[in-house]
Formats: sequence, C-alpha cells, structure tokens
Amino acid sequence: MSSNSQEKIKAESCGWQAALNLNFVATTDKTVLVKRDHFGPLSVQRPFYPEGGVCHVYILHPPGGIVGGDHLTICAKTAAHSHALITTPAAGKFYRSSGVQATQIVEISVAEHATVEWLPQETIIYEGAQLKSLVKVDLAPDARFIGWEILSLGRPASAEGFEYGAADLNWQICCQNQPLFLERLRLDAQAFAARWGLQGCSACGTLFATPASAESLVAIQNLIGDTKGRGVTRIDELLICRALDGRSDLLRGFFEQVWAIVRPDTVQRKACAPRIWAT
Amino acid sequence: MVTDLALLRLLQLVSPGLPIGMYSYSQGLERAVDDGWINNSSEAGEWICGLMDNCLTYIDLPILARLYFAWTSGDEDRVTYWSRTLIACRETAELRAEDRQTGQALARLLDAMEMPEMQVWIRKPETTLATVFSFTAVLWDIPKHEAMLGYLWSWLENQVLCAVKLVPLGQVAGQRLLADLAAKIPGLVDKALQLADDEIGGSAFGLALASSRHEMQYSRLFRS
Repeated sequence: MSSNSQEKIKAESCGWQAALNLNFVATTDKTVLVKRDHFGPLSVQRPFYPEGGVCHVYILHPPGGIVGGDHLTICAKTAAHSHALITTPAAGKFYRSSGVQATQIVEISVAEHATVEWLPQETIIYEGAQLKSLVKVDLAPDARFIGWEILSLGRPASAEGFEYGAADLNWQICCQNQPLFLERLRLDAQAFAARWGLQGCSACGTLFATPASAESLVAIQNLIGDTKGRGVTRIDELLICRALDGRSDLLRGFFEQVWAIVRPDTVQRKACAPRIWAT
Repeated sequence: MVTDLALLRLLQLVSPGLPIGMYSYSQGLERAVDDGWINNSSEAGEWICGLMDNCLTYIDLPILARLYFAWTSGDEDRVTYWSRTLIACRETAELRAEDRQTGQALARLLDAMEMPEMQVWIRKPETTLATVFSFTAVLWDIPKHEAMLGYLWSWLENQVLCAVKLVPLGQVAGQRLLADLAAKIPGLVDKALQLADDEIGGSAFGLALASSRHEMQYSRLFRS
C-alpha cells in the first residue's frame, strides 16, 4: 500500500480538521491581508497585485482533496473599502466516502463599500462522495460581491456518473442578517439524472453578482442567445447566472465571459484573470 | 377533525376559481416544454413529481406549517421571518414575483371581503401566497394538516393544467396524472411535518434554469 493511500485511510477514520481565517483591510493604495490564521492543512500564498490595489489570494489545500470526516472552514472578512479576489490554484475534490460525511463551510463577510470576489476553480465531486457544504455571504449596505460555484459530478472522462453519493450544497446570501437568497441543492443519483435536476450533465454552475444593473442582465441574455443549458435572472440587484454542461471546462469558459461582463458594472474594474488560471 | 364548514372553506380557498391569477403562472414548465425537456405525460409527471418531492416538501409545506402556527399564536414577527425565508428560497425573479403577486392578490381579496387585517399585506414585499393562505386557513378554522394538503393539491392541479395546455396532454391524460400524483400528497405532508428548521430548503436546478430561461423566452403564454 502506498503511503498516499495510507494517509487517505487515516484521514477517513478521524478526518482532517482545517480552518483558515483571512482579514483584509484597505490602505491608501491597496488592500492588505492583515490576518491569515490557519489551523491544519489550509493556507494562503503571499498575495498578488496584478491590477493595482486589488488583493489576489490563492487558497491552498495541500492534501489536494477532501475525504469523509474532513471538516474545512474558511472565513474571509473584508473591512470597508477593501477589495479581495480569492481563488484556488487547482480544482477542489471530494472523494468517494465509505459513509462518513465531509463538510466545508465558507463564511464571507463584506463590509460597507468593500468587495469580495470568490472565484474558486471547479469542485470535482466523485461518485460516492458524501458531503455538506455551505457558502454564507454577509453583505453590509453598499457591499459588492461576485461569486461562483462550478461543480463537476463524477468523472465523465472515466465514464463515471453519480449513481450513488449525496451532496448537500447550500448558499446563503444575507444583507444585514436578512436573507436575500437561500439555495439548497441536494444532489444524489436521482437529482443527477432527472429533468428537474442536472439532466445527467456532469457540470453545473451558479454565478452571483451584486449589485448588478439591468444592462448587465440584458448583456448576459444576449451572450446566451439560443445556447441551451444557460440561464440568467436578476432578483432586485442580485444577478444569478446558471448553467449545465457536459464539460466543466466549457462551463467555466462561459462563466469567465459572464464575469468579464458583470465585473465592470458590479466592481467598476475590467476583468483581470488571476495568473494561476492560465497554468 | 375538519368540520363540514371548514372543509367547504378549504375547497373555496384551493379552487382554481379563486381570483388570484394562479392560472397565469407555469413555474418554468412553459420553458421546459419549449426547450424539449418535457414531451409527454410521463415526462410531465416526472417533472411535477420531482418538484413536489424536492421543493414543495422541503420549502413550501414546512414553512406553511410554521406560518400557520405563527398566525395561531398571533406572532407577526414570526410570520414576517418565515415569509422572508420563503421568498429568499425562490430562485429567480419570476418565481419571486409570482409568489408575491398571488399572495398580495389574495390579501387584496380578503381585505375586500371584510378581513381588514390583510390590508397591510397587500403591499408588503415579503408577502407570499403561503403567508396569506395560512392566515385564511387559521381564520376559517381549517386545521393545519388539511391546509397543507390543500395547498399542495392546488399547486399540483395548477401544474397539471399547465401541462395539459403546454405539452399538450389530453383531458383524460391530465386527470390520470392528477390522480396519480395526488396519491403522493398525504405522505409528503407527513414528511414535511417532521422536518426540523435546519432541514428546510430544497432547490431543483432544472426548475431554476427553466425559470431563468423563461424570463428571456421570445413568445410565451404564462407569466412564469
């Protein structure tokens, strides 16, 4: 048995507990990551500044995947007028579980006139995975937020679908403790295959942007045109774009186009893709 | 036990003749048909049944039960809390507008029928159909369990009527579908009654996508 698989077994029996706490503060010329406490295998690299004052941060998870019993918590707080873009250097993975649930909780709080962009690379959910995830976004008045979740179910390249396993995926977007948007996808074999679910598509994604104008909505509707499996709506100022695809790379390419449309409107900046996406 | 009069009141409340415009909303079904996702009675049944099992049972019904309890205890803060939670669970602008408009229309009707308590709910942004439906059920002595059965029945009947028009289905096929799916309702109400607060919530990705796409559908009969 390789040491790698021994580690996985060990992790499954007790689980990795990991936590990361990030605080961002605006100075006169840039946003500074003033706190980066971590516990267990979660950390961040030194921030990058490819577009002036915006703090680009990559979250690292050295085990490379999450197994049953793991419990990850990521907490990002931005102070007034700061701007953080958070992404990951590689796809996240939830491995098959022997029955124990893995959990991942992301808490993002955005202060007045602050901006958070939460743009992790796709999350691969292996057939048989058992997980619960929550992304909770707390917005202050005049806060700005863009975020996405790109899921890849099973491994279509290995002809693996999602015939067993269960993912309980939550998004909660609140403004001053009032719920703006609550979503809870309970993905299992039935939801994966069904017309009302993922229709057997291995890639599924949701993108949020707030505040977004009616012009952004129309621009994205025009981008979608007659393309199947793409949709967009705007609830008050919260724009939500959804997509289903047979391939997560195509879905992500679409979301990058949507991001390029909404970013100048929501964040008043042109899209500047994190360098790591190109590698 | 439901009294004869309460049963009759429930029939009035869930009737498609109730003037709140339910017939003009398809909840994404129109787009699902247009996109070729639903082509016949069994595919319509799979769609509607999936929404009953995964959305109505996990969102509308448990929240309806909590709203009912809040009205019986005169706790308007809880009514507002659960109404806001329900509206926040609606995944698109059209689904939100539908719930708000039908709820406000029912509030307007009740106000005109000398139920002045409902006047403030005519314009509140958090008004949902379940908010006003549960108020009416409490006022008319319709027990909670029967109110939940009736709410899900009226949703189901409206969806099947939409499928009859859109797919389209024959009248007999429509009634057969209604009979088959209605048989599931008692079990779903029982399940909904057992859910704890932290178990509430259930989204259907296909519904959210169809409803989003309906908002940009070129030619349409329905408002959702």
